[in-house]
Amino acid sequence: MAPILRRAIFYKQEWSGAMVDIKAFSIRKITAFGLTYLPFADAATEAVPLSRLLRLSLFQVTVGMALVLMIGTLNRVMIVELGVPAALVGGMLALPLVFAPFRALIGFRSDNFKSALGLRRLPFIFKGTILQFGGFAIMPFALLVLSGFGKAAQAPHWIGQVAAALSFLLVGAGIHTVQTVGLALATDLVEEKDQPKVVGLMYVSLLFGMIVSALAYGALLEHYTPLRLIQVIQGSAVTTVVLNFYAMWKQEARNRVRGNAKRGPEEKFGQAWAKLSERPGIIRLLAVIALGTAGFGMADVLMEPFGGQVLSMTVAQTTRLTIYLAFGNLLGFALASRVLSRGALPLNVAIYGAMIGVPALSFFVVSAHMLSVLVLTLATLAAGFGSGLFGHGTLTATMRSAPREQIGLSLGAWGAVQATAAGVGFALGGVMRDVVLARMAVGGSPAEAYIPVFMLEVGLLVLALLLAFPLFGRTVAPPDEPKTAQDGFVEGNAS
Amino acid sequence: MSTNDPNKVWPTGLTLSEAEEVHSYLIDGTRVFGVIALIAHILVAVSTPWLG
Repeated sequence: MAPILRRAIFYKQEWSGAMVDIKAFSIRKITAFGLTYLPFADAATEAVPLSRLLRLSLFQVTVGMALVLMIGTLNRVMIVELGVPAALVGGMLALPLVFAPFRALIGFRSDNFKSALGLRRLPFIFKGTILQFGGFAIMPFALLVLSGFGKAAQAPHWIGQVAAALSFLLVGAGIHTVQTVGLALATDLVEEKDQPKVVGLMYVSLLFGMIVSALAYGALLEHYTPLRLIQVIQGSAVTTVVLNFYAMWKQEARNRVRGNAKRGPEEKFGQAWAKLSERPGIIRLLAVIALGTAGFGMADVLMEPFGGQVLSMTVAQTTRLTIYLAFGNLLGFALASRVLSRGALPLNVAIYGAMIGVPALSFFVVSAHMLSVLVLTLATLAAGFGSGLFGHGTLTATMRSAPREQIGLSLGAWGAVQATAAGVGFALGGVMRDVVLARMAVGGSPAEAYIPVFMLEVGLLVLALLLAFPLFGRTVAPPDEPKTAQDGFVEGNAS
Repeated sequence: MSTNDPNKVWPTGLTLSEAEEVHSYLIDGTRVFGVIALIAHILVAVSTPWLG
């Protein structure tokens, strides 16, 4: 009897032990279950795998999509299909540009964001995404009202104008927020030696998003109907939300230390900016970015009309020019990522990019004299390559120029300068093209009219080179502390 | 595991202020979605009025 009793007691003990285990187990499970459905990572992991960075880079795809939709597709649809006056369309499309300088402020706010969870980037990407979505959601109806569709012709004009302006402003504000803070998050996640890879990834994703969405919008809007316009734009809205949420899911770790940290007197934007701008070389770097981006950007706009009007290329041929440009860009990003990962200095790469850009843009002029499509094609490829190197080099230099706690501000400043310069270059290129057309109307030669514009672009790049040259072989504002991923969670080997 | 921490909210293990922060994002999003939906409805009503 005794052994049986002993065994029974033993079983009982084991059973109650199991009971305790089940309780602990279920609490643990439920806790883990809860965390599975929260959008932040629970802890900073040592190394962020490439697949996760690839997922993060999806936000650039939505930015590219929005840019193509507004600048390319809607530009045409509003003028041709909806019959909105071209001046009004130009004004509407320029509206998002108004917000570009605020990127620096957005970046600064995200650097100093108050959050119990210790999050800095995620809330901003979320809000930016909501703004992008909201703008796209009302945009088709705003455009239809603007064009006087249906009964809207009897309604007062200001309704359509205000609604369209609001929708473009919302999308613009969303893009600026998502891109600035998304880049800052990507910078937070990796160590300095891996930053070139991330920059390359971000540029390639942007390019990929622009190409794919340009093709998709072209195919979807081939037979325009108002319903199709609504479907396409609202489809973009949903795609934006899906891609951005997937991109940011569990990317940023929550940080109880930062969440509970006692806060001193709040830093003002002016103070933060003064601190950043007194680092040697920053202002010079931003000026170089402005000049170079405007120079390369203007060439992008004028390339196609130049090919068509001066070299009498067909539409298919000029479209191929855009593909060569994108291909050159890709080559530039790839090469820049490669050499920068192996320790090349980002500013040197940017300077080489501008140095390739100067002869490439000069050959645009040569091709006008020789009437050679081959020369123009090669020049386009080289210009794309140079602009890829330049863009990659300057963004990497910007990332490395700021201390960890000011990454948002410095990338915001980069974005503000870059977006403004690209927009101004785009607008200026468009205005000059109109001047060209006007001169053609009075009998001037189109080639003669384009040449001063290309000379201006070359001049901008030369100016950028002159400004950048004192920085050759140097890093802008070398970091005063070793910069490692995730605020020192990882002991990195950044040099 | 500090499952008995009174500050932590079941079942996520967030503290109260953390949970309130997550909630605030949800509220913000809902408000924006609501306003956007309202504007969209007004615009559609302007171009193609329903209800007479």
